[in-house]
Amino acid sequence: MNRREFLQCAAILISGASASQLGFSLSAEQTTYLATAPDYNTTAVDYFTPAQRKIVAAMAEIIIPRTDTPGAIDAGVPKYIELMAANWLNEGERAIFDAGLQDIENRIPQAYGESFDQLPSSQQLEILEALEEDASDSEWYEFGNTLREFISEAPFICQFKELTIWGFFTSEEGASQVLRYDPMPMYFDGDVPLKNDQSTWSSPF
Amino acid sequence: MIETRQYDFDAIVVGSGISGGWAAKELTEKGLKVLVLERGKPLEAGSGYLGEHAPNWKFPYQGKKPRELYAEDYPVQSKVEHSFNEGTRQFWNNDRENPYAMDEGKPFMWARADVVGGRSLLWGRQTYRFSEMDFKANASDGHGIPWPVEYRDIAPWYSYVEKFVGINGKAEGLPQLPDSEFQKPMPWFALEETIHARLKKKAPDVTLTSARVAILTEDLPGRSACHYCGPCPRGCSTGSYFSSQSSTLPAAKATGNLTLRANAVVERLEYDENSGRISRVHVIDAMTRERMSFSARIFFLCASTVGSTQILMNSVSKAFPNGLANSSGVLGHYLMDHTLGLSGAGVFLDNMDSYYHGNRPTGLYIPRFRNLNGQDEDADFVRGYGYQTATLRVDWQTGMNARGFGASLKESLRKPGPWIFALAGFTECLPQESNRMYLSKKKVDRYGIPQVAFDFEWSENEVRLRRDAKRQADRLLKAAGAVISLLGNDDMSMPGEGIHEMGTARMGADPRHSVLNAHNQSHDVPNLFITDGSFMTSASCVNPSLTYMAFTARACDYAAKQLAQGEL
Repeated sequence: MNRREFLQCAAILISGASASQLGFSLSAEQTTYLATAPDYNTTAVDYFTPAQRKIVAAMAEIIIPRTDTPGAIDAGVPKYIELMAANWLNEGERAIFDAGLQDIENRIPQAYGESFDQLPSSQQLEILEALEEDASDSEWYEFGNTLREFISEAPFICQFKELTIWGFFTSEEGASQVLRYDPMPMYFDGDVPLKNDQSTWSSPF
Repeated sequence: MIETRQYDFDAIVVGSGISGGWAAKELTEKGLKVLVLERGKPLEAGSGYLGEHAPNWKFPYQGKKPRELYAEDYPVQSKVEHSFNEGTRQFWNNDRENPYAMDEGKPFMWARADVVGGRSLLWGRQTYRFSEMDFKANASDGHGIPWPVEYRDIAPWYSYVEKFVGINGKAEGLPQLPDSEFQKPMPWFALEETIHARLKKKAPDVTLTSARVAILTEDLPGRSACHYCGPCPRGCSTGSYFSSQSSTLPAAKATGNLTLRANAVVERLEYDENSGRISRVHVIDAMTRERMSFSARIFFLCASTVGSTQILMNSVSKAFPNGLANSSGVLGHYLMDHTLGLSGAGVFLDNMDSYYHGNRPTGLYIPRFRNLNGQDEDADFVRGYGYQTATLRVDWQTGMNARGFGASLKESLRKPGPWIFALAGFTECLPQESNRMYLSKKKVDRYGIPQVAFDFEWSENEVRLRRDAKRQADRLLKAAGAVISLLGNDDMSMPGEGIHEMGTARMGADPRHSVLNAHNQSHDVPNLFITDGSFMTSASCVNPSLTYMAFTARACDYAAKQLAQGEL
């Protein structure tokens, strides 16, 4: 079977299957194909204030900026962070997140005269670097401490970086325009020359 | 005298996983009318694989785990990190709905599927033959009882199932790991070739070979060669990996002799004292709670080790007050599992300009190399272990806690880092009477069936094997040229975590010490066969599914002949 045949076969399977044809009583969850579901990032959420949304977007873009490839805002990362803050962080983690965001919201205008998102990017970077400096003894930075779910005690800046980086590289833009994405490789070759500027593959979960 | 009794079916098979699928195929192909009872939900091959090929951005939370849901509904199953996620959850047991008595006895992890096809959808697909040495292990070192079967008895059945399953691998001619019937092996990473060459020189006592995997590299009828999308356990609509859904159940259906009933929870088997046989199976429908029963001439228990043993323990009668077919008293005892875990991982800076195409859904394998010719002088343990290997290139997921911001961070995260080559030791587990499962006296499930509880502890031998696996991994990684050898540990895995639970209805020549004879047939009840992992008399260190398949096919052949001869 070649790639084209395969995709046709998959398309037929997906379009042709319905609960009634199967003759079983299946719940909605049992008949929804994840591949044809809406992107997670299209889920509705209303957790941040408009002012907070601007700050979150500016912070995410400092972490992963648009270069010759898409950046955090292009990839919908601010929305992802809002979804995760609202629906995924547990109570303790959310308290750290909320306090951290409120700190930026309140402290920066007093210190700099303007909201974080209105500042030039060099000042935004300075602020985030200072937060990282203060958080530098967190276990979040320990070598290799990434193959785990989440560090509940991690300071705000670490939470924020993790959600930004995770949200970015698992987004369609990050996976396919910054990393490389191929859902149907069709063969395996373990010795392909790596060209100087090539990105890693986006690996499926 | 001609048998005049009427039966609902010729044979009833409980379970539709690896063993049940094979029993269904073999018995229906021999012309028997077969009912397969599966307690899990209905699932159609292909169209039922809801997570297949879903990109990461479709996953809830873009792949971060729904922690609350997992803690409440899947506290056990979600620990199977290599294959439990939102792309596979539909196949798994809900621990809240179908619990076992985890708080009794000593902790044991029981990973369970809950769909037609069972764990054959979720397995690691590693397929290795037991060797002559494995079948002789108990007899020669005195742990457990001798196997009533020799390698030469089962070898033709290995070949028989392998040709149908489709196994890719490389012939090595090793006595401790007999070759299978192979399709061409999957290609290797350049780094693996580098390591292979170095080990050949600096550690000639080990063999680094292709993993032997039930994934097609060449088409078989109705199934296509692997397309290397990566995450097999989401299901595979091209049937590239072997599952009962892709392979044995379709073959059984094609005979016209198969009746498959999902949502069919087997409560117990009914023993008829007059005939000395099982007469009926009692079933509760998981959706309607309707009770029903079916009769048959022979019964195959293939409900997984724990599931089958639970059914027998719950099938008490005057003749068998301690569980059906348990005159020996060993039912539920001698539970085994493989210990597994990362024994070592090395960082490599070789082949940095070499990359790859496609997601190869397996690593390589280092077959057992300890205690091969009697006892090694420096070994403080009996038996041995093999390593499954993993090769990966460090990417953003490993490096996401880097310091810094902006374009340089983005740049470093998108590019490949060094290579990592990891060794995971799978060690043999000795059969011990004290390691057992039993029925809770306090807890029943939602069908009123007593819940399963466990009493299991690793023995000193397994602890020593794990320790040696770590020590040897460090030696091998250094010989392989790792710039850093890191992350190795000799922690014991949680019992059950290997998902190779076996041995609770072992076979043996002596009915006083075993449940089954050499043909997986009950010593006590001649029309009862058990062919899932519960029959295993010892564990070897290799993944056991292939052995379950071969013994199932052999037992079906025997049972059908016995039926034809009027013996059953």
